[in-house]
Amino acid sequence: LDPGEEAGGGGAPRPPPALGDDTEDVSLDLGGEEELALRKAQIRHPLATFFHLFFRVSAIITYLFCDWFSNSFVACFVTILLLLSFDFWSVKNVTGRLLVGLRWWNQIDEDGKSHWVFEARRVSTIAASTEAEARIFWLGLIICPVIWIVFFFSTLFSLKLKWLALVIAGISLQTANLYGYIHCKLGGQKSISRITSRFFVTADVPKSKYQAGPSAINHEVSNADLPHAVGFGFSWY
Amino acid sequence: MKRQIKVTSLFQMRDLKAVGKKFVHVMYPKKSSALLRDWDLWGPLVLCVSLALMLQGGSADSKEDGGPQFAEVFVIIWFGAVVITLNSKLLGGTISFFQSLCVLGYCVLPLTVAMLVCRLVLLAGSGTISFIVRLIVVMAMFGWSTLASTAFLADSQPPNRKALVVYPIFLFYFVISWMILTFTPQ
Repeated sequence: LDPGEEAGGGGAPRPPPALGDDTEDVSLDLGGEEELALRKAQIRHPLATFFHLFFRVSAIITYLFCDWFSNSFVACFVTILLLLSFDFWSVKNVTGRLLVGLRWWNQIDEDGKSHWVFEARRVSTIAASTEAEARIFWLGLIICPVIWIVFFFSTLFSLKLKWLALVIAGISLQTANLYGYIHCKLGGQKSISRITSRFFVTADVPKSKYQAGPSAINHEVSNADLPHAVGFGFSWY
Repeated sequence: MKRQIKVTSLFQMRDLKAVGKKFVHVMYPKKSSALLRDWDLWGPLVLCVSLALMLQGGSADSKEDGGPQFAEVFVIIWFGAVVITLNSKLLGGTISFFQSLCVLGYCVLPLTVAMLVCRLVLLAGSGTISFIVRLIVVMAMFGWSTLASTAFLADSQPPNRKALVVYPIFLFYFVISWMILTFTPQ
């Protein structure tokens, strides 16, 4: 260990954890080796990655092989619909935030006007996402709606119209998430170009950033004015 | 990792409580903002699925396992709700698309209760008396649904347009009540 690291672990102040949310990217108080391992890990949120793909892929598989599972149309319909709903909820509320740091929601203010809010996290921390996770996220997000659109045409042309309602529901739920996250991503890139002077990429900054000193002051400032990262904690959904 | 799981489960509790609160608001419709401000579509989904499940199995031909009917109920409810929402937006309503869907979906609750009661009554018998009982129950619940959703939705319209907004809601719940009343099990 270099002296910088050891001194950093000692008496330097930690930035305050974000409010109201346990899964927020709080800087973890790990020892030096664990932190290194975490940084090198390909997948930092294995559970989120698994569930991101699990519900979508199970819905598609159930739709394709529903005849093997059960004779009843109703059981298949309800199962696939539930899987699609769980997938929508988990991708919108959990995996997007954890895997790529994006989130979007709708809020209605006192006047009754509804606003759609799209946010992208500006500063990445140690527990932030990796390339592999981001790739899995976007691939899963894009490929599944395309598959459902293929199902739509196959259902339409083979005239199995009773499945049409389900396929349309699947397409709308999955493209809603796709649209929301693309909007977040594009919006985030626009705002990043405006604030590049304050943009801080943690990957380049060594652990000694938490030491007292001139470089630490810069980092403290940009860490402190993270309205997005703090605001990430509340009003979910 | 442990922290992730903990918050996800906390999340479902909060969502469930929000859904439960909205069900209570439908049964006692007052001017409350819970249904309007924090809209969600979980309640309508659950109600739609349970209503469709209870309505199937009443068709004349026994070879079908109720497939088309199940999808029909689904399509009627969601498509009907979308059309009503579009109608109210075209008339200049201030309520947002998903809020309106939320209210219309949650106000299907009394009719779902009516369906449950009808099924129980039909277990006892399917004569004239059971028909009269079912008629009274369905009419009462239909009135309740329409009044509840009108209480939430009509406010967002200018006064001379209220009737224009209310009549599609009336039709919507009327069609659902008709499906419930004419349901006869095999």
